[in-house]
Amino acid sequence: MAADLGFDPYLVPAVDGVAYGLLVFVAASGLVLCFGVADILNLAHGTLYAIGGYTAAALLDGGWSSLVLALAVGVAAATTAGALVAVLLTRAARRNHLTQALLTFGLALVGGSLLVSAFGPDQPPVRVPAALDGSVVIAGHRYAAYRLVFIGVAALIAGLLHLAVRRTRAGMLVRAAVDDAEMVAVLGVNPARVRVGVLAAAGALAGVAGVLGAPIIGPGPGTADVVLLLSLVVVVLGGLGSMGGTLLAALAVGQIQTLGVALAPSAAPFLLFAAMAAVLAVRARGLATARRAA
Amino acid sequence: MSLSNPRRRRACLAALSALILLPAAGCADGEPAAGPGKSIKIGLLASLSGTYQAVGKEIRDGFQLYLSSHDGRLGGHEVQLVVADEGNGAATAVPAATKLLKQDRVAALTGIVGGGSVAAVYPLLNETKVPFVGSNGRPELKDVSRVWHTSYLSDEPGEAIAQHVRDNVKGSVYAIGPDYQGGWDELRGFTDAFVKAGGKLANPDGKTTFTPFPATTNFTPYFAGIKASGAEAVYTFYAGSAAVDFVKQYAQSEIKDIPLYAAGFLTEGGVLDAQGDAARDIYSVLNYSPDLDNAENRDFVAAWKAKNDGSPTTYAMASYDAAAVLDRAIAAAGDNPTPERINAAIGQLGQISSPRGTWQFSPSTHAPVQKWYLRQVRQDGRALSNTVVGDLATVGG
Repeated sequence: MAADLGFDPYLVPAVDGVAYGLLVFVAASGLVLCFGVADILNLAHGTLYAIGGYTAAALLDGGWSSLVLALAVGVAAATTAGALVAVLLTRAARRNHLTQALLTFGLALVGGSLLVSAFGPDQPPVRVPAALDGSVVIAGHRYAAYRLVFIGVAALIAGLLHLAVRRTRAGMLVRAAVDDAEMVAVLGVNPARVRVGVLAAAGALAGVAGVLGAPIIGPGPGTADVVLLLSLVVVVLGGLGSMGGTLLAALAVGQIQTLGVALAPSAAPFLLFAAMAAVLAVRARGLATARRAA
Repeated sequence: MSLSNPRRRRACLAALSALILLPAAGCADGEPAAGPGKSIKIGLLASLSGTYQAVGKEIRDGFQLYLSSHDGRLGGHEVQLVVADEGNGAATAVPAATKLLKQDRVAALTGIVGGGSVAAVYPLLNETKVPFVGSNGRPELKDVSRVWHTSYLSDEPGEAIAQHVRDNVKGSVYAIGPDYQGGWDELRGFTDAFVKAGGKLANPDGKTTFTPFPATTNFTPYFAGIKASGAEAVYTFYAGSAAVDFVKQYAQSEIKDIPLYAAGFLTEGGVLDAQGDAARDIYSVLNYSPDLDNAENRDFVAAWKAKNDGSPTTYAMASYDAAAVLDRAIAAAGDNPTPERINAAIGQLGQISSPRGTWQFSPSTHAPVQKWYLRQVRQDGRALSNTVVGDLATVGG
């Protein structure tokens, strides 16, 4: 059997790692925007993802139109929640990160409890469109169709995000605000509005990740914690505030969580954090050296 | 487990207010025992909130179903059933059990979903000398003189199905399960009996692969290992949301054609609805299935369906049996059924007819010696259900 030789048995975990990594990237990119650009540590970010996930579970019925509806509702809800966090942070924005962390952590606890009381303590089932609710054979291996399509969609989102930050006026303003907030204010742009905009955009990204990622990291009482933890790991590994570094770190996290677990199942419980400690010990600033939003 | 805190607090609040409201009733009769035809107090402790509330409600409803189909009487005495909330585990179970045993002074206690809760309540049982007829969780206990279970021991499902898997699978079997006490017990039961029967595990080191619990939500990397091992079948145990993730991902993975055998909880109750078509054809071992063909089961299922949507689970059945055990023990305990006499009478019961078929308490473990069934997930009318396809070993004791 050729399957016993070389890399072949690990092809599926490697592909799955890309799907998982891209999901983590979309989820974490919002946190990178908040932290790297607006300098706000938003610990409620995982809760914004959970909002998207629960929306998907509630609205998806196996048809394409329900997916569009879930995306619209989920993104709108998470964007609103992100903007709400920004408004509540108005007084704390100029304070240190500890104040922000405490406030947003409290918001995460409240939000988590609200979601559980609204949707129940169980993990609700998520129904993907019927056409994707199966598996396909690639290179002699069977793989979930939804995850394969997700890789394409998430790569598209990553590309659009890159263009938005590099090429649009909003992206330039945001990058300018990181470089010199006072100079941007002199140009007539209210930094507070930039902050609300960034947090709302971060919420939208978390909402997209939550809706599209619900079949992969499903909504449940522990979802917010899982996503926040993975996102924080990615932010740290990615070098605090660089989109390119974030993508690299997210893909690495994806591979560690899938290929790593397949190669060394007995090390599964601590593989991710061992890798993180190793990277930080060698390069304290993360995988990428770029300091700013790429 | 981020939900545990607010839930625990709410449960505490409920227990506290019950504590304030109920002493009047508790003090009035003082004596826990009852005279001939007088009422008797039974305490039922189960998770009515939190992670395990689905199981807890089945346990409560199973017991109440027995009462309502027997004129609200056990052993000729009118029953006052006092229900308390176990919550997520020991932290809420102990105050609730304290209230039942010391405030309400129940003559017997039943229910309890979690093994950890049973272990935590156990010292109270010894202190108050009240018999406990548990209907689910069963930890390792030193002295079972007052503890009885109508459920099973965690290593028994695997033990019961091992010979069948050995006889029907041509080749090695891959064992995989969650990394906590329940998972270790369930998988050890299978692997020990399977290897003893001459079977070979496909796992590379000959030991069960354990996945971090509850952190594992993506099982795809483990499936690659199973494929590479060349296993002809897989044996597993997962419950709750992990069971849903495992089964759905298995059905879309490259090992979807490898037969899957499991302890029955993988496809029992609500998780089967969430798994849907992905669960089709899975073999599982359990001590009960709603389609068993015997008179007790037909009555039980009919009565259950008259009050609930869907079919009863093994959890409801075990609680129904706990009521049946108490019914016969209280009747045998004479005119003044004290906790001590009820406990002694349970030990003398012998064969008990039940919806699962006839069983009896093992004299050493006080858990059932019972027959286990091989079930397969098949279409039953519009819904999928666990259909009995054969008898397996009789295990226990």
